[in-house]
Amino acid sequence: MNLNIFVQHFINALSLGSLYGLVAVGYTMVYGILRLINFAHGDIFMLGAYFVYFATIVYKLPWAVGVVIAIIGTTICGLLVDRIAYKPLREAPRISALISAIGVSFFIENFAVVVFTGMPRPVVQPPILMQPIVLPGDVRLIPLGILVPIVAFVLVGCLLWLLYRTKPGLAMRAISFDIETTRMMGVSVNRIIALAFGLGSALAAVAGILWALRYPRVEPFMGMTPGIKAFIAAVFGGIGSVPGAMIGGLILGFVEIMSVAFFPTLSGYKDAFAFCLLILILLFRPTGLLGERLEDKI
Amino acid sequence: MQRIRNLILTIIAVVLFAFFLDKAPELLNGYWQRILNLIAINAILALSLNLIYGITGMFSLGHAGFMAIGAYVSALLVLSPAQKNAMWILEDIYPWLLNVNAPFIASIIIAGIVAAVFGLIVALPVLRLGGDYLGIATLGFAEIIRILITNTARLTNGSLGLKGIPAYTTLFMSWGCLGVVLLCMVCMLRSNFGGVLRAVRDDEVAAKMMGINTFKVKVIAFTLGCFGGGLGGALMGNLITTIDPRMFMITQTYNILMIIVVGGLGSVTGSIIGSVLVTTMLEWLRFVENPITIGSINIPGIPGMRMVIFSLLLIIVIIFRREGIMGMREFSWDIFFPKAKPKPKHEESNHESVLEVEDIVLRFGGLSAIDGLNFRINHGQIVGLIGPNGAGKTSAFNVISGFYKPTSGTIKFLGKSIGGLSPDEVCKAGMSRTFQNIRLFGHETVLQNVMTGARIRQKYSWWMSLMPFVFTDVLREDSAVKAQAMNLLEQLGLSEFAEEKASSLPYGAQRRLEIARALATRPKLLLLDEPAAGMNPQESDELMKFIRRLRDEFDLTILLIEHDMKVVMNVCDYIQVLDQGIHIAHGTPEEIKANPRVIEAYLGHEDTDKETDRIIERHYAKKEGQK
Repeated sequence: MNLNIFVQHFINALSLGSLYGLVAVGYTMVYGILRLINFAHGDIFMLGAYFVYFATIVYKLPWAVGVVIAIIGTTICGLLVDRIAYKPLREAPRISALISAIGVSFFIENFAVVVFTGMPRPVVQPPILMQPIVLPGDVRLIPLGILVPIVAFVLVGCLLWLLYRTKPGLAMRAISFDIETTRMMGVSVNRIIALAFGLGSALAAVAGILWALRYPRVEPFMGMTPGIKAFIAAVFGGIGSVPGAMIGGLILGFVEIMSVAFFPTLSGYKDAFAFCLLILILLFRPTGLLGERLEDKI
Repeated sequence: MQRIRNLILTIIAVVLFAFFLDKAPELLNGYWQRILNLIAINAILALSLNLIYGITGMFSLGHAGFMAIGAYVSALLVLSPAQKNAMWILEDIYPWLLNVNAPFIASIIIAGIVAAVFGLIVALPVLRLGGDYLGIATLGFAEIIRILITNTARLTNGSLGLKGIPAYTTLFMSWGCLGVVLLCMVCMLRSNFGGVLRAVRDDEVAAKMMGINTFKVKVIAFTLGCFGGGLGGALMGNLITTIDPRMFMITQTYNILMIIVVGGLGSVTGSIIGSVLVTTMLEWLRFVENPITIGSINIPGIPGMRMVIFSLLLIIVIIFRREGIMGMREFSWDIFFPKAKPKPKHEESNHESVLEVEDIVLRFGGLSAIDGLNFRINHGQIVGLIGPNGAGKTSAFNVISGFYKPTSGTIKFLGKSIGGLSPDEVCKAGMSRTFQNIRLFGHETVLQNVMTGARIRQKYSWWMSLMPFVFTDVLREDSAVKAQAMNLLEQLGLSEFAEEKASSLPYGAQRRLEIARALATRPKLLLLDEPAAGMNPQESDELMKFIRRLRDEFDLTILLIEHDMKVVMNVCDYIQVLDQGIHIAHGTPEEIKANPRVIEAYLGHEDTDKETDRIIERHYAKKEGQK
């Protein structure tokens, strides 16, 4: 394996990992607050990709405008999902919300089939992102491959700032400790939950857009596998922890890309790695890398 | 009488239905026959997932994986060598596999067993996880199984799948299998073992304290459920005659989950009703995806619309009627007849030093919850464990009853060391307890709660409960335990509530029920954690009499935590006092009443505060000296 190929794999792993991380952050925030696996999150990610597809390729808007529209549109969808399918079930047993999440996921996927048809649609990449930069040693870099991790890290950095340096962030962390007490402290809990859904959806939209550029196509079920894998990344990093989600995503990205790079015969099992990783971490460190231990009170 | 009547009615219904199935090929077209078959298969799948999830409370999303195993095993066994030769195009089939063959019935049973073996392998590591993690881990296993099937082409023909599987799944076959599964499951759920499964779901901690090895119970339920998954998958494969890995995606599990949620989690009847409704609806909704011509108007079909409508219905059900159609109720012929009430009957146990606790230390990280606890309890004593909030009383209980492992120190119970035993083993050794925040099996009847406590004394194994008419021990032991439980309820004044749901009882009665359930394990030592909490003075007076009566009637030794000083001083023979994890005093009620350290521990008097500080200082100084 020469340097050029290794660098390609490295960049690939970094950008795939940071995409997983971006989606995982949305899972981890909602789970940290509501103890709910938002199964629809992967489909929100898919909606982000479709929004940008329609804005830029069908309606020929400039990319910058398309991206803004996609983020806003996806965020609204995420908020609607919370309002319609989860909010009525806040007091219900957790399983009810989980089933509702499965229902929403089904709904969004099939609604996309009805509206957009099930056919995959090709995405035209802006040429500027695809023009390789040649570095010494004949290493060629595609700007898109570098853009993805940069965007991801900047966004997660902003999110961390929001969580640890602002009042809404404080409220969000407080809710994840004890929702009832936070309510009694005069925090509008539902608004903060909506904020978590909104932020998660916006990040998922960005991930969806970058994903659509990277594998240049969109289809209604494109969110399923990345969604489940991102959830695994969130569990791996320690569910409830935002830095953990990002780290989990990166580890997952590297494991997937590098194992196939070094052992090409395993490529058929690529999708199984994430699950093996998940089961191993659950067995040996059930709270994930950065998660905190929860004790059952007797 | 009632049972014979119900049995006759059931037989009549079964015979009528068999007659209908016999005539079905003439009455119904192929389309409806197929739906009827699918209903039976989905019902088997739903029942097995319901056993895992609705009844035992393990959130599993792995059913599709076990179906896949079943479908492939059965298909590989019934396909002829010639068919196999023709089908494996990309890679050669393993030679040993080519000639493996089995008759259909054997093949579906083997399919179930192979799925169960996989289930067992999965269960042993994964069932240590709880809640959502279990769901994700099982989902992961299902995906891994699917990926394995895709990639082991020599074994499974990979992503091409298997075609031309003989259509052995006839109406009699699918409904016959459902009948057997249903019979075994209903028998098991009606036995006391079934009660144990539901107890694990409602409160695992309390179940452990009833002497139940909850991990083993969960593994059994999970493995049985996987058997059902494999069986259902095998029948499915032989019905649609083509299988490939994409059939067994997570969507398949969701479909089954939907059936049990719509029907009612934990209800067998609900699973059956759910599969009738969901299967019929899913098939019927296909019309929206087909083009329709009404007169001259042509409405084109809309692909995907079927699942859109379906998922909307699911969300509506879960938001507006989340307990499903049946909730946890079951169908019974009794609903057609006025009720008759049953009547019950009577029974009793003996040692010197019952419990000896020596130098118990319990630390969580750097925090000492208990730092050096020593005491002994003699047979027939009632001993109180008191101290202000956070003194470590409940922690001491948790150590004694096996929920926490002490950092150091020994616990001897009836002369034997029990340090390090798990709660169920401690219970089997003859100790039982109640909990500060009442932990009943809330969805179960009062009677079943007590019967669950008696499960450790029963000799029959779980698998016998699948066939109670063969292993009549099940029926005999269950009815003996039921009589004993009724007797206990009567002694504790709860017999009027026997058939009511435990969570519907008034507070005081729930406390007594928790004691009744603990007594059903026939303990020598009973630990009561704040029995008088939330009681008014009159109720606590009654409680005092009750505790003494318990000791005398059941030949018990009792250790109790209590804040109500009146109760403690009146009922206890001896008292141990803890403060901030340190054993600060012990003595008879009179001595304790006069002990300034105790008074100050509760009231925080200035002079004595200093004295306690000195005691605590001395304690730590001594510790330092020891090091």
